[in-house]
Amino acid sequence: MNRELLSAFTRWLDNGPRSIGQIAISRVGDFWELRHVEDRGGELKTHTRWQDARILANTTDAGVFRPIKTTRDLRHGWRLVLSSIENVCRALDYFYPAMLGLWNADARGELIVTDLRDTLARQTGMYRVTQKITDEQAQALIGRQCSTCQKTMLWRIDPAQPITSLPPEKHLRSSGGAFPLLCREGCNLLVGLARGVVKDAEKAATMDQPQ
Amino acid sequence: MFMLSKPDSALIIVGHGSTLNPDSSAPTFEHAEAIIQRGIFGEVHCAFWKEEPSFRQVLHCVERRDVYVVPNFISEGYFTRTVIPRELGLHGPVTRVGRHVVKYCEPVGSHMKMTELLLHRAATIAPGVPPENTTLFIVGHGTNLNDNSALAAKREVERIAAAGQYAEVLSAYMEEAPLISDWATLASQPNVVVVPFFIADGLHSYEDIPVLLGIASESPGAASAGAASVFAGNPYRLRDHTLYYASSIGTEPGFADVIMDQVSAFDSTAR
Repeated sequence: MNRELLSAFTRWLDNGPRSIGQIAISRVGDFWELRHVEDRGGELKTHTRWQDARILANTTDAGVFRPIKTTRDLRHGWRLVLSSIENVCRALDYFYPAMLGLWNADARGELIVTDLRDTLARQTGMYRVTQKITDEQAQALIGRQCSTCQKTMLWRIDPAQPITSLPPEKHLRSSGGAFPLLCREGCNLLVGLARGVVKDAEKAATMDQPQ
Repeated sequence: MFMLSKPDSALIIVGHGSTLNPDSSAPTFEHAEAIIQRGIFGEVHCAFWKEEPSFRQVLHCVERRDVYVVPNFISEGYFTRTVIPRELGLHGPVTRVGRHVVKYCEPVGSHMKMTELLLHRAATIAPGVPPENTTLFIVGHGTNLNDNSALAAKREVERIAAAGQYAEVLSAYMEEAPLISDWATLASQPNVVVVPFFIADGLHSYEDIPVLLGIASESPGAASAGAASVFAGNPYRLRDHTLYYASSIGTEPGFADVIMDQVSAFDSTAR
């Protein structure tokens, strides 16, 4: 366990009931309880192992796999009761992978942000072709794909070009007590989709050519 | 017995992951959970190419300066030699990355214990079946870009054959000869045990190989945990053989020991 992170997270948690993304965290007697923020009552299935968070995070209410865990489709109907803050951190590492770590790195001034062009420039193999995506195609893809994610986007297309295809609040760090979910670089799901955009455009261009 | 103790070090297990189903990353997470329970490392993290935490995120999450990276991959190849070093910023066996000193270990699949785990998996899937009347297939993918998984499968076949336990030990592949779809003509023994030499269950072990074996029909859509029912049908009696089909070798709990062995092996080599 990252001790420094545990200590910082304990201080953050001490200030009353908290929420991270779609998860509410509260103190119940000697335990910590995590549940979906929208599950205020009714029948909830109780889990007591931090490892169960991985299974709970894996699929939506409809049973669809969630490759990116910060999309706004966390499943409902469960409560996870844990005996220590260490285990709360471990569970949150499954619900929102790397988000506690990036929060802590950001507080230390060590968070490295990488713009999209740098991400694409280092791709090799089947993803090298993503370097051909135009700025317009990239903006459109980001507008479609990243709007479903709760993370605050810190990166740009390149230093001269911010992301303009998402609402301005998508780039603003949360104020007040909300826990920030930070996106420091385009994810590999986005890189994979960028490949599809380039390939489709190339295919369309070939078909447009006179025979 | 030597007990590994690394309270001042972090372990990062790196895997491929998938954007389509949770089965690809599940064994990596399970091995990490087993290692966490043993309290050997000060920190244990996972990182993936196709899921989060990503290779690019994970070092931000690590407090310990001393970091071991173990690839949960079957073979040396494109991912272990190109993608993982590039994404983590590694330039050799030991690299200073920011405030971390990262020690890059060998992938699990190249460990000598693989042979033992394959034999264990084969014995478990076909209990009481005499090896002297059995053909054992180790199945790899084959024809992957810069992937030496076929070589790794051949190496394991040689080691298992040398042990002399099984009447016949063969490697076979999904996409290159000898093809696993020809299993019934390749096998000379009445009993046949098939072990996929993959790091996780998924589309290949749930659907592709069962279809090639003739024990499942093609089904549309991505593989899911529900497809694990293919293992419940053992043994299959077809094409004049009794066939036992195992899940991918990477789901063996013994992989947690192999991951720790690769850390010990790194230290022995570095000494």
